[in-house]
Amino acid sequence: MNALEHTLEQKLADVAISKPVPDELPASSRAPRNNWWQPYRRGWLSLISLLAVLGGWWGLSHSGIVPPLFLPAPEAVLAKLVTVSTQGFMDATLWQHLAASLQRIVLALLAAVLLGIPLGVLMGVSPVARGLLDPLIEAYRPVPPLAYLPLIVIWFGIGELSKVLLIFLAVLAPVIIATSHGVAQVSRNRLRAAQTLGASRSQLLWFVILPEALPEILTGIRIGLGTGWSTLVAAELVAATRGLGFMVQSAAQFLVTDVVILGIAVIAVIAFALELGLRLLQRRLAPWHGQLD
Amino acid sequence: MAILSAHKVSVRYPGQDRPALSEVSLDIGPDDLTVALGPSGCGKTTLLNLFAGFVQPDGGEVRFGEARVTGPGADRAVVFQHDALLPWLNVRDNVAFGLRLQGVAKAERLARADEVLRLVDLPEAGSRYSWQLSGGQRQRVGIARALASHSQVLLMDEPFGALDAFTREQMQELLLKVWQQARRRIFLITHDIEEALFLATELVLMSPGPGRIVQTLRPGFSQRYRAGESARAIKSDPAFIALREQLLATLFDHRRQAEEIAA
Repeated sequence: MNALEHTLEQKLADVAISKPVPDELPASSRAPRNNWWQPYRRGWLSLISLLAVLGGWWGLSHSGIVPPLFLPAPEAVLAKLVTVSTQGFMDATLWQHLAASLQRIVLALLAAVLLGIPLGVLMGVSPVARGLLDPLIEAYRPVPPLAYLPLIVIWFGIGELSKVLLIFLAVLAPVIIATSHGVAQVSRNRLRAAQTLGASRSQLLWFVILPEALPEILTGIRIGLGTGWSTLVAAELVAATRGLGFMVQSAAQFLVTDVVILGIAVIAVIAFALELGLRLLQRRLAPWHGQLD
Repeated sequence: MAILSAHKVSVRYPGQDRPALSEVSLDIGPDDLTVALGPSGCGKTTLLNLFAGFVQPDGGEVRFGEARVTGPGADRAVVFQHDALLPWLNVRDNVAFGLRLQGVAKAERLARADEVLRLVDLPEAGSRYSWQLSGGQRQRVGIARALASHSQVLLMDEPFGALDAFTREQMQELLLKVWQQARRRIFLITHDIEEALFLATELVLMSPGPGRIVQTLRPGFSQRYRAGESARAIKSDPAFIALREQLLATLFDHRRQAEEIAA
């Protein structure tokens, strides 16, 4: 999404450059602007909006209008970060909660990738597989995971399996759909060129189809991880004793608002880090993405 | 060496009332640079796809020497107009890709790639990526890749059609040089009359509705280029211009006839 915005901005800038600069503009406005602002404009703007929210939060919590039970001060939450990460909350430190959550999502992601990519490839190359699998995926994909959570609990109990399974299902659909889409869109000329260079069917798959579908697959994983992470809180409501979702949920029951806010903040930071990491990975593994004509 | 030949091939695509190709016969000998020239719809792409093995004829047959062509193979390399390089590999690895598929050792195939890149005047570009290259450079890489593998034929699908006029002329000269040095037969299709006249040792003129060969000639201008005459001198030679106009007139005649039949 971000890359798209960026290229759009560049495209518009290219159009702007091709227009002649009006003569009546003063020379100073044509010269490049201060180089601490212009190149990092987006970063500065993001920082400004974040600081504004923090400032508003600080002001509101110190004004005495809102009691700390509803809105604890930022520094109180920060102090809580230290306590929770050293002494813990509900018999586990923040790191143990975090590790429990990360373990679930990593397991779910691995399973979704291992199953989703082959299924997606199959759907991308075979109309029969597409015809068979497409209705199944399209039937369960739009259903919110919380809606089928009770069924999963009835079938698989309240152990780890149910939680991982729920996240797995949330990640699986985007991975399959993106993979099959990426595979179906592989350039015919590239396939044909590889064939005339002597590629066998399996060589086509490994050397042409998978590399070319890789950016799409990574996009699918990125979207899936986003959905999966937000499903996590729901999954951890199911009788968990560890996990960020569990931590937030039980803190809410005891009205420990600062832990609730802390938990939400950690969940947000992890989500952001996952998104950023995958974008970096995508840029690293598929630098050509968006550069082809 | 074996001859690549189409013998009375016909192709009809589903949903179209006229065949894309009707009983076309063409031989491509070991030393030929055969150019198929014609407007869109004349079946030249279909003919190339038949030679490549991407398309199977509904009638007649395509043979390479003793063997019948039933699918694409490493003995017939194709150079496409665009979109055929692998953007995740650098230029050297793209050129060496065919050899990699055949299991040639890394050092050997990269040495071969460098050798071919020198032949197409791109000795410095090996570590760059296709999306960092200009259109003309990309086509050079495409030609280099086709040359690097041990194909016996180069099938070129409007290879310079997307290039600007200056680059196109450079590439035509490069192609003649490569053809001479690599000693590889070439079948090239184009809708550019000058390009066809300049390059071809044998030129087949094609016309649509149904796609067929209407004239075959041996222009001989590429031999003059190889003998040392400049490309501009050849293309502005009255004989060249006269032949160009004559071919154009023939193509217009055939179009008019086709339209009359259709009406």
